[in-house]
Amino acid sequence: MSVYKHIYRAYDGKVTPVWTRVFVLARYGFAEAWSSKITIGLFTLCLLPPIVFLIGIYLANNSIARALMGGLDPQGLPINARFFLILLEVQSWFALALTSWIAPRLITFDLADNALPILLSHPISRFGYVLGKLIALLASLSVVTWTPCLLLFAYQSYSSPLPWAAANLQIAAGLLAGELIWIAFLSILGLAVSSWVKWRVAATGAIFAAVFVPAGVGGIVTGVLRTKWGFLLNIPFMMTSLWQRLLGAPESARANFYLPTGAIVATLVLACFICAAMLNARIRAREVVRG
Amino acid sequence: MNDQIIFENVSKFYGEVLGVNRISLSIPPGITTLVGPNGSGKTTLMNLMTGLVQPSSGRISVMGLSPVNAPELFCILGYCAQFDSFPRGITGWQFIFDSLMLHGMSEAEAVELTIESLERVQLGDAAGRKIAGYSKGMRQKVRLAQAVAHHPRVLVLDEPLNGLDPMARAESIALFQELGRQGMHLLISSHILDEVDRISDRVVLIAGGYLVAEGSIQQVRHEVQEKPMQVLIRCDRPALLAAKMFSVNHCVEARLHADGKGVFLRTGDIDQFYSMLNGIAAEGLVKMESVAPADDDASAIYQYLIGSSGGTS
Repeated sequence: MSVYKHIYRAYDGKVTPVWTRVFVLARYGFAEAWSSKITIGLFTLCLLPPIVFLIGIYLANNSIARALMGGLDPQGLPINARFFLILLEVQSWFALALTSWIAPRLITFDLADNALPILLSHPISRFGYVLGKLIALLASLSVVTWTPCLLLFAYQSYSSPLPWAAANLQIAAGLLAGELIWIAFLSILGLAVSSWVKWRVAATGAIFAAVFVPAGVGGIVTGVLRTKWGFLLNIPFMMTSLWQRLLGAPESARANFYLPTGAIVATLVLACFICAAMLNARIRAREVVRG
Repeated sequence: MNDQIIFENVSKFYGEVLGVNRISLSIPPGITTLVGPNGSGKTTLMNLMTGLVQPSSGRISVMGLSPVNAPELFCILGYCAQFDSFPRGITGWQFIFDSLMLHGMSEAEAVELTIESLERVQLGDAAGRKIAGYSKGMRQKVRLAQAVAHHPRVLVLDEPLNGLDPMARAESIALFQELGRQGMHLLISSHILDEVDRISDRVVLIAGGYLVAEGSIQQVRHEVQEKPMQVLIRCDRPALLAAKMFSVNHCVEARLHADGKGVFLRTGDIDQFYSMLNGIAAEGLVKMESVAPADDDASAIYQYLIGSSGGTS
């Protein structure tokens, strides 16, 4: 045996708790996501609607500005639940575009480069790996969804001469809850789809397809079977209904297409479980080449 | 803490494909070489040991830890996979530094250990370059640096000499030797047996997913004592020597050395063989320069046990 002197000392210094290492992956994921110029371009686009809505709030609360604009009718710019619902919807669909770009960058590259065995040969679990990527995506989407929405709500609260905020707290809570539900769903969907499509461009398309193709199928089911339950496959319809209820805005769907909130939540939870199962099947360090 | 790596009746099947079957092993500290032809199950064994794949049956313990518990296991274990793959767009420095951060080091310590490990494999100058621009040998080195950077107690290296030029290979072998001498637990799989077996304390021979033999090279050689043994004799008249030796029953094969100044003789009775060789030397018909066993290494034992078809590719 060549062990003459056991002078080798394994590392016995302090290490950070295991759960904090998830944030190392999240930090690198975030950096990876934002290293692309297209991400920056999309982010800039995502900030344009809040600027338009900001101007709307400014005009609604400033009579001098309205006069300078040719005497706009203050009733024509009501800042209410519907106003914020439109903002929320616009930002949410921009978030889908951002997800379809960022999510494949976070997972597809690692899979395509066969980097998972290297990454998982660290004191981190598969769950920790996915959680790190999920946090990176959630953080990226937060920047364009609930953060600008709540900032505009705060600006409206500040600008309004009336005790507006106290009377409309449901809008703030609805904005936060509605966007968090949406970006959590988008994040897990984006990662799950990306983990199954190695080609990044195809993964981007697949994420859009995962949202809109079931909506088409749901429409066919509704039309053929004459049942409202086909709308449970229609993610845009379900989310709009949910957002309207969370913000207290009037519902746009006809009464016979009304979906109970419980059914919507159950469908979203089921979709998340399916996505988790997809990730569980794909995020493995298994190497099929045998040496 | 238990200082052994233990496999207890471990089997792994990929669906209907056999990975390894009923492997029972106990590997003490030092350098252990895993030898076997392609598809024999070496990588499967390493992946099982590192918890990257789960056994279909059996139990594995790495210094008392179960590979299922990745956060604990990878604190004491460094793994250098054989696959030439890295996260995209990353530099050598980032690769090691990020790895250390994932090991839970503080930023200051990660910087210190990154410098140390890159210098250890002599990649300090190339640390800032993207790995995609590295040569194959440099990529192999940076993987090795990443595996040793966090000062593990166990180092698992899957084909670590692949793609290295002779100089880099010699440097890597010297590093393994140094780490083994210092008391680290090294498990190396390699096809370049003639280099690795010189530094190995133990060899584990595996073929078709089955454990064929294990122990020191001498022990394994002893296990196959009944097999013919090959001896290289450097002399001035190899053809004459071969003819004389072939006149006895125990000499089963003779092959001239490529330079014409020696002959490989294979014998089934080494004692008789040496006795006869002494006689020929005493006669003075053949001037012998040296006599040396030509197959007392893992490669030859491997050929004996696994057959020539499973050669050292």
